[in-house]
Amino acid sequence: MVARRKYCVAGHTFSLLADEEAMKRLKLDNYAPFVTEDGDDIFIVELVGSFETSGREKLYVSPAESGEQRIDLYSIDGGYLFEMAPEGNLPVTAWLKCDPSFTSAQLRTVGKFRNFAVNNAMMLMYAFRTAKSGTLEMHASVTVKDGKGYLFLARSGTGKSTHSRMWLENIPGTHLLNDDNPVVRFINGKTIVYGTPWSGKTPCYRNEEYPVGAFVRINRAPRNSISRMSLPEAFASVSSSSSGLRAIKGMGDGLFDTISRIVQDVPCYLLDCLPDREAALVCCSKVTEGNG
Amino acid sequence: MKTIEGFVLRPLGEEYIVIGEGIAQVDFNRMISMNSSAAYLWSKVEGKEFTVEDLKDLLLEEYEVDPDTAAADAAAVAAKWVEAGIVSE
Repeated sequence: MVARRKYCVAGHTFSLLADEEAMKRLKLDNYAPFVTEDGDDIFIVELVGSFETSGREKLYVSPAESGEQRIDLYSIDGGYLFEMAPEGNLPVTAWLKCDPSFTSAQLRTVGKFRNFAVNNAMMLMYAFRTAKSGTLEMHASVTVKDGKGYLFLARSGTGKSTHSRMWLENIPGTHLLNDDNPVVRFINGKTIVYGTPWSGKTPCYRNEEYPVGAFVRINRAPRNSISRMSLPEAFASVSSSSSGLRAIKGMGDGLFDTISRIVQDVPCYLLDCLPDREAALVCCSKVTEGNG
Repeated sequence: MKTIEGFVLRPLGEEYIVIGEGIAQVDFNRMISMNSSAAYLWSKVEGKEFTVEDLKDLLLEEYEVDPDTAAADAAAVAAKWVEAGIVSE
C-alpha cells in the first residue's frame, strides 16, 4: 500500500508518497503543523527502492567542503537528477530524479540519512517548482516583532541564529518564526514571510505568516553599526541568500522578477556587529523606525 | 575582448545590473551595477567580440559627446568590466 502525506507551506500544496512501512520509518514531526487535506499538489515526491541513473550528464558539481552538505546536479531523460551527500567528503546517500518542470520526482535513499534526504528533496522541489511563482526559499533566521518578520541573512556560521537569539533574549514581544529556511512571497503587492518545516538545527516549525519588516545582512565586525543598503546591494544580498539555479530555463527570470520587486518594497540593511546584546538593540531600533 | 557567457543585463529600479546566471557562476556570484549609458553599451556588445574603439563608436552614435570624452569613457567602462570579471580580455 502506498501512503500519502499532503502538506501546505506558504500557500503551496505538495505531497510525499511512500510505501506504508517506509513512511512509518520516516521522522516527519517537522511537517505536522503543515498537514492539509485538500488543494492541488504543485509537486509530488515519491520514495522508491531504485531507478535508472545511467545516461546522466553533469551540469553542476558543488565544491566538496567538509561540514557542508553537497548537492550535485545532472541532466537525465530530459529532466534532472540531484545527488546528495550529508557532508562534502562523504559518499552520495540520496538520488532525486525529476521532470523538467519540477512537478514529480522519485527519491531513492540508502543508509541512515533518510530524513536528511527527504527534507532536502522536498526543499529542492519546493524552491525549483515555485521559483517562477513569486516565491523565494531563503537561507535566513526570522524573528517576529509587533507583527512583522525580520530576516537575518548571512553565510553559514556567521551568526544569523545568534543574532535572532539576542533579539529573543533582550527585546520584549519577540518570537522566532524560523531559523534556517523560511519562504518569502511577493503577493498582492506585499512581501510576506512564512514559517516552514525546514529550520536547520533549531526545531522551530511554525505555520505562521507575517509581512516582512526588513532584511538584515549580518557581518561580523569589532563594533556595532547599521546602514541602509542601496538597491543593487540589496538585490545582491537577497539574491545570494535565495535558493534556485538561475541557469535553468525560466528560473533566472522568475527569481529576478521576485527579488527585484521585494527589494523595492522592503528595506535592506547591513549590520556590522558583535554577537552581543547591544547588536540586537542597535539593529532593532533602526529597522523598526517609523513603525509607531 | 568579449562578454563572458552567463552574464545577463537586468533593469533594477532606475538603474541596471549585470548578474551571473550561468552554470559557471553558481559558486561565484558576481554582479555589477550600471548606469543607463553603460547598460546601453552592454546591450550592444553582449555575446560578441568587441574593442574599446567599438565602445567609443557606440557612445558617439548614441550621445552628443566629443570623441576624446567618448574614448575616455569607453576605456573606463571596459576597465571596470574586466575588473568585475564580466568580460574577458
